[in-house]
Amino acid sequence: MEPAPGELLVADELIDLADERPETLFEVFESRGWGDGLPLVPPTLDRVQAMLAGGDPDVVIGTLPPRFGLATRRALAVNAVLAGAPPEVFPVLVTAIRALCHAEVNLQGVQSTTHPVAPLVIVHGEVVARAGFHAGCGAFGPGSRANATLGRAVRLALLHIGGAYPGRGDQSTQGQPSKYAYCVAENAPECPWPAYHHAVGVEAASAVTVACAENPHNFHDMESDRPERILLKAASTIASLGSNNACISQGEIFVALCPEHAATIASCGWSRRDVQLFLYDRARLSRDTFLAAFRQRRWAPWMQADAAGETLLPMTEHPDNYRIFVTGGAGKHSSVLPSWGVTKSVTLPLEA
Amino acid sequence: MPTIVSPEGPVGPGQRRLSALPSVLAGVRIGVLDNRKPNARLLLTTMAERLAERTGARLVLVTEKANAAVRGEMLVLERLRDEVDVVLTGSGD
Repeated sequence: MEPAPGELLVADELIDLADERPETLFEVFESRGWGDGLPLVPPTLDRVQAMLAGGDPDVVIGTLPPRFGLATRRALAVNAVLAGAPPEVFPVLVTAIRALCHAEVNLQGVQSTTHPVAPLVIVHGEVVARAGFHAGCGAFGPGSRANATLGRAVRLALLHIGGAYPGRGDQSTQGQPSKYAYCVAENAPECPWPAYHHAVGVEAASAVTVACAENPHNFHDMESDRPERILLKAASTIASLGSNNACISQGEIFVALCPEHAATIASCGWSRRDVQLFLYDRARLSRDTFLAAFRQRRWAPWMQADAAGETLLPMTEHPDNYRIFVTGGAGKHSSVLPSWGVTKSVTLPLEA
Repeated sequence: MPTIVSPEGPVGPGQRRLSALPSVLAGVRIGVLDNRKPNARLLLTTMAERLAERTGARLVLVTEKANAAVRGEMLVLERLRDEVDVVLTGSGD
């Protein structure tokens, strides 16, 4: 027998609103220091129930620092409702939060660093079409309800459950726009290589990747028919002293190729591995350049070893740290997503 | 009148609260936890030394984390717990 709504919520605080005006909810949230500054959908009992779709609300998906709040399915459902998410995307939210709680993500650091890092959620597989995620023109936004609200639900969970409020938990010096919402779908139908989640060993029909990164940095090439010419522009964008990858060699670097760039690269017989190796070889700066810029370096030991000043060192310590996926629509703009550095991406099968 | 559910959820067992600060620093043992941000050790140690001079406290331990992006190693935290009363840490860039 289904429990009554109130029975599911005895452990949570219920709040009576004075009326149904949107401004009233806004004011309640502002007065408690909650929210992301945007209008919210009221998380009423019936909406939360619909989001949960009958699953056990008390299951704890993970603990979110720095508040160390318990991300129960119920708490996640409340934040999904607030974000305006449709119930179809809720399993993606649960999977993304579970992935963020893996130790290698270092969520406590991600949540509290002065760096602007935000968790990017990449959605893979059949759930993309089924739940309405968008992987075509303007994939990073705006415009797709699933992308926008899933990304926002992750952020609201990190705020409300995790307590990462700017200046009191989240110490990011400037923040970044993707801290509002950061979700994109992989354009697998136009990817010339195996889907990303299959390439990293997740053999599920659908999967979710979380990667803690900067905003996308655009690179464009409208004229080339050779992979080298396209990817040299990516390498140039990557080889920046301003990103944390310059001084933290363990960091990954996600590269979001547009379908046309990917098609051109693959038409010359290049695999995803060839792209990784090329970027590893060409996104480099001289040892002297690095040393002049940084006194403190978290480099792999072999990179710390003495070498000639003109020796070219890579922006990350291993080719595997280049993470290549395809997204977007027509046109010849791709992007690079530098890492915060002390974090690793995680890909998990989509939860039921 | 609509009723909504709090978005915070319960707090887990990992949450810790800061100990209350002592009201008098005379005789108190001060420790510095260098978080490895640039200049953190210089800044924090200088502050600790001046605090000790002014109040009669003692700077007894200067230690460090592996880096600013990860939590302190348990051995370091246990040493601070056992050997000092007040810790200065948390330098920015």
